Amino acid sequence: MRWIRLLTAMFAFGLLAGCSEPGYPRDPEGTLLRATDGELVVGVSTHPPHVDVSDEGEVSGPEADIVNGYAESIGAEVVWVEGAESELMEKLKLGELDIVVGGLSSDSPWATHAALTRPYGKTTGPDGKEAKLVLATRLGENALLSNLERHLIDEGLEA
Amino acid sequence: MNGHGYSSLPPEKSAALKRAVRLQWISLGVMGLIIVAVGLVAGQSQAMRTAFVEDLLALLPPIAFLLGVWRARKGRSPKHPYGHHRAMSAGHLVAAVALLTFGLSLTWNGASALLSGERPPVGVTSIAGYTFWAGWPMMIVMSLTVIPSVILGRMKLKLAEELHDDLLSADADMLKADWSTALATVAGVAGIGFGLWWADSAAALLVSVSIVKDGVTNLRGAVGALLDARATPIASQEPDPVIDKLREAALEEPWVEDVAVRVRDMGHVFHSEAFVVPVSGRPVDARMIDRLRDRLSEVDWKAVDTVVVPTADLPEDVDEG
Repeated sequence: MRWIRLLTAMFAFGLLAGCSEPGYPRDPEGTLLRATDGELVVGVSTHPPHVDVSDEGEVSGPEADIVNGYAESIGAEVVWVEGAESELMEKLKLGELDIVVGGLSSDSPWATHAALTRPYGKTTGPDGKEAKLVLATRLGENALLSNLERHLIDEGLEA
Repeated sequence: MNGHGYSSLPPEKSAALKRAVRLQWISLGVMGLIIVAVGLVAGQSQAMRTAFVEDLLALLPPIAFLLGVWRARKGRSPKHPYGHHRAMSAGHLVAAVALLTFGLSLTWNGASALLSGERPPVGVTSIAGYTFWAGWPMMIVMSLTVIPSVILGRMKLKLAEELHDDLLSADADMLKADWSTALATVAGVAGIGFGLWWADSAAALLVSVSIVKDGVTNLRGAVGALLDARATPIASQEPDPVIDKLREAALEEPWVEDVAVRVRDMGHVFHSEAFVVPVSGRPVDARMIDRLRDRLSEVDWKAVDTVVVPTADLPEDVDEG
């Protein structure tokens, strides 16, 4: 099985040699590249006080501010898509959405559908325990995830 | 024929055994540190969490070894007339099962992640005010774990040969599995960074093949030893050279016409039986048999527990010689 080890080592070194290139980590589907100076498709499920949608379709609340601020930082225009949490998560998994917000907590069971960001704040859950608030991005789009998380850190949004 | 615990080991083997015990304590300590380090950087990455669980499996062979040696140290007694050496074979079985489980778990996780198109999320991490991609600390920690695994593995393999210890050999295989998996994780995480979501699973699947193979080989060996299969050298299917040596030594006695030898591996040492047919018409007394037994016990340190059975006809299917 020596050849397997050799192959693994060569694979590792080949990849490491390429790490000086810009754009690392990259998205398998290129979401961040597409959204930069383009459109950022964000699913929103009403969850006051974290995020709310008015009758006129106006999205407001701290999570809306975070998304708008982030979109501005990459020069993207936000396209809001309203829906129920489970429906939005299915769409996120299918790649129809880039980000989902809706007062999600870090212990939410959506890890199979979405990449949860680092916590940006704290709230008190229904059981009276402290919960960490997160946003969700499309699974595997690590450039977008990392970029958004850097934005959270830069804005001082930490739990 | 004094003592049948480790008091019967020759001095250089006793020293090697002491070194092996010390090495196992060191490796438990080092592996404990690795497990803590990997646990700290694992984060949400499923691949890293799996690596964490698999590292816990790698603790089993050293623990089995230390328990085995502790048990095997005891001498023989009427209650345990063959001594306690088999404790090492039982430990080998534990190590083999751990290794096979490790390999199968790696295969299962890699294949299922690949088939379901699982895309591992790796975000950023903050350490001491610096923010960087969480893939970097994963790659650094996994690369660092390779170094002690390679060194400890080589040392254990050397001692395994010296002590005729299948358990140590399985442990060395486990360390090899450990470091090859770590390298695969490094390659996989680097690949994830390039947007190759399948890289981690594919690399794990690639190395799991040889780990499963090692696990199966060890399991066969361990079960074979417990079923009293013919003794073999470490990691080999061939008859142990000690069998030939016993046969030759018996035939050197002028009163021995023919001989059949069967040798089973008790773990570290053997239990050997030599059936001898005396030259016809030659009287055999108990002292001649004792002398032959002493002579046979001295052909190799592993042959310390040898019995001689005089017989008129050799038993069938015991020895191919």
